[in-house]
Amino acid sequence: MRLSTTMRRENTPILLTLVAVLVAVFLAELIFVRNFDFGKVAFIKPRNISNVLMQVSTTGILAIAMTIVMVSGGIDLSIGQMMCFIGTGMAFMMRVVALNEWVAVLFGIVVAVLFQVLMGFIISRTKLEPFIVSLGFMSMYKGFTYLITNGSEITIEGKFTFLGGTYLNVTNQLRFGMPVIVFLLLEIIIWLVLRYTKFGRSVYAVGGNENAAYLAGINVKRFKLMVYGLNGVFVAIATMVLLSRLGTGNPLMGDGKEIDVIAAVVVGGTALSGGKGNVWGSLIGVLLLGCISNALNILGVNPYWQYVMTGAIIVLAVLLSYFSGQRSSFAKGGLKKGNTAELKNAAQH
Amino acid sequence: MPEDLILSMKGISKSYPGVTVFDGFDFDLRRGEIHCICGENGAGKSTLIKILSGAHSPDKGTIFFEGEKVQNLTPHSAMSMGIQTIYQEHNLFPLLSVVENLYAGSQISNGFVINQGMMIAKAREVLEYLHSDLSPFDIVGRLSSSARKTIEIAKALIHESKVLIFDEPTASFSNVEINRLFEIIKKLAQNRQSIIYISHHLDEVFNLADRVTVIRDGQKISTYDRAELTEKQLIHDIVGRDVSLFYKRKSVPIGEEIVFETRGLTGNGVKDISLKVRKGEILGIAGMDGSGRTELAELLFGVKRAESGEILMKGKRVRMRTPLSAIRHKICFITEDRQTTGLFLKHSLLRNIPIASYVHTSTPFALPSQDAKVSRRYVDELSIRTPGLSQLVMQLSGGNQQKVVLGKWFASEAEFFIFDEPTRGIDVGAKEEIYQIMVKLLEQDKSIIMISSDMPELVAMSDRVIIMRGGVKAKELEKAEINQETILTYAIGSLVK
Repeated sequence: MRLSTTMRRENTPILLTLVAVLVAVFLAELIFVRNFDFGKVAFIKPRNISNVLMQVSTTGILAIAMTIVMVSGGIDLSIGQMMCFIGTGMAFMMRVVALNEWVAVLFGIVVAVLFQVLMGFIISRTKLEPFIVSLGFMSMYKGFTYLITNGSEITIEGKFTFLGGTYLNVTNQLRFGMPVIVFLLLEIIIWLVLRYTKFGRSVYAVGGNENAAYLAGINVKRFKLMVYGLNGVFVAIATMVLLSRLGTGNPLMGDGKEIDVIAAVVVGGTALSGGKGNVWGSLIGVLLLGCISNALNILGVNPYWQYVMTGAIIVLAVLLSYFSGQRSSFAKGGLKKGNTAELKNAAQH
Repeated sequence: MPEDLILSMKGISKSYPGVTVFDGFDFDLRRGEIHCICGENGAGKSTLIKILSGAHSPDKGTIFFEGEKVQNLTPHSAMSMGIQTIYQEHNLFPLLSVVENLYAGSQISNGFVINQGMMIAKAREVLEYLHSDLSPFDIVGRLSSSARKTIEIAKALIHESKVLIFDEPTASFSNVEINRLFEIIKKLAQNRQSIIYISHHLDEVFNLADRVTVIRDGQKISTYDRAELTEKQLIHDIVGRDVSLFYKRKSVPIGEEIVFETRGLTGNGVKDISLKVRKGEILGIAGMDGSGRTELAELLFGVKRAESGEILMKGKRVRMRTPLSAIRHKICFITEDRQTTGLFLKHSLLRNIPIASYVHTSTPFALPSQDAKVSRRYVDELSIRTPGLSQLVMQLSGGNQQKVVLGKWFASEAEFFIFDEPTRGIDVGAKEEIYQIMVKLLEQDKSIIMISSDMPELVAMSDRVIIMRGGVKAKELEKAEINQETILTYAIGSLVK
């Protein structure tokens, strides 16, 4: 009960930003594009909503795992290139090696987990920065991708359509694709894991203060291996979803994805320094960024402007949560007391 | 003879929120003298250095340097006036060479281009003067700690410092290195440079000092010339507190059973430590900073592994591989620095108190309702003053933060408590509460090891005291023998053996 109120308070600024953006987009379309014809506003049509959800689902799945990685004090820049590697690898197995589609997919999952565990092993046994280590892996995956594909895409010719081609029809306009259902299911599972398990407590403890976590009996090294292993599972799932939707293993299929994902997670309130954040915040962050790019399409904005707008929204959202965080600690005299404790410490030494 | 004073401080007061460190402190330093400063841990020695080096400014009082009043001392102006501090921790750039370190921030140049040749020549000259075999091109990070201290001294010479402040310079030095340092210091003094030397090693003080000043609780107690100084008087001045001010602890019957024992424990900088703790007993561990007390605690709690020796709990041999195995054996460790190793400052009480209790459940689950129940229980039991369980720990006072740490270990069902400086940075009222909690633990048949630098605390709370010096057990005192003078005599290594 108390944890959930804390979570709601944490998510308030980003939720407000999302609502504000939705209203602004709706009004903009109504006034400038549709000449006040309410019935024609495309942005709120069920078909468009289904569309947006479908588009954000891969980023969303990746953002769930990235939230865990970042709350526990790490980061992983390699996920985008890993998607390319695993995705083209799966396609290669299906098409060239002609494996059964599920065997090929399973193979991809295992490889993803192994590589992530290797990376987790390096990060947990040394004091190396996850930023740098994952940057190295990112480049390796890029190389693997081109070694597999030679730079051209590998179509899977109608195989493995289950995830991309199955829909749950609510009305004949509003329908949820399998990727959306997978995304929401994973979201709920991880929310429950973070809330009701020791693993979830460790995520916050290790991110909040690694020394104190170790001294409180948490096996920090093993824990980090688990975090990165889990991240591997999620990257593989996201890759499956995307591969199934695209029907082809494209060497650029995950290119730049890590930026979208990290942006969404940070916009969603996860601290880069760790210890703070939750999966619902990241979900809202993903939706926010997804809605903006969708809205700019509908409004007919020059696609090049989309980068500018997206960037501005990210900075705005982060500023908003920064200021709301400051205000609340001022209100409780938090900063002042923190200072006092520091000074007292200084006086002792 | 006021003209030979290079530095004097008059009526210096300094307080930090909640703590008054100095109140009307006077001090003077003659040209060409070696002036030693003695005092317990926390007496105010470090604050004195911080004020003289310009790192902190005093609230009241004046400093005169070469007869002139000094205002708004900053680290930079202190250095350019000629006050150079050689700190306990090294302030050198490990990746740069000796000469680059000597001239860091003050390179010789014609305005555009650095004159490398001149800097190297001068560096050679100074190193030679110090009888050092260092080369100007050695990389500092690869040098021993005594070589680095030499570089710090060389730096002071290059900047033509008039006052050199040494803060515990000999920590981790060998005897040969100590003697060499002393020769250098004496040579500097003959050269009319003035030395402030801070140490808690009596033999060093008697070897070096022209004069000695004792400070205690931020007050100057006395200043002696070397000739009129006796060891007994010095120790008396360092500790001499009114015994009636001490906390009076309720006595608790001590059981026969030995709960915790070590035999010849060695590793992590401590050697051959054997100790026993009985049921319902507080074993105090005394010693100056750097004597190996915290290092010993780290071995007991599995933070570091012992090289040899054994640990027994209730007669059975146990191994402490990690903190996790120690917690499974119901040991807990209340660390010295609760903010960096004990607490999750940015998290609520709800996330702090139950964190070590999950060790004892075999399922992978942790229920928020259970967390709330546990947290509520220990907030009540320890009377932690907080507006609610979702309050962030960083917003609590020092005393309440310490109680949160205790709550964490109570929730982990600990039975053997290792306290490292249990009341550091805590106000008087909260101190007494912590003492009461400790006595209550004894009444519940639990046992405590208490590392402390706070002399009244050691004397008042301990049933026995072990005194550590240089990583070994220097002495063990029974209840009747415990007093401030005896503890300090062994801690600083008396001259009379």
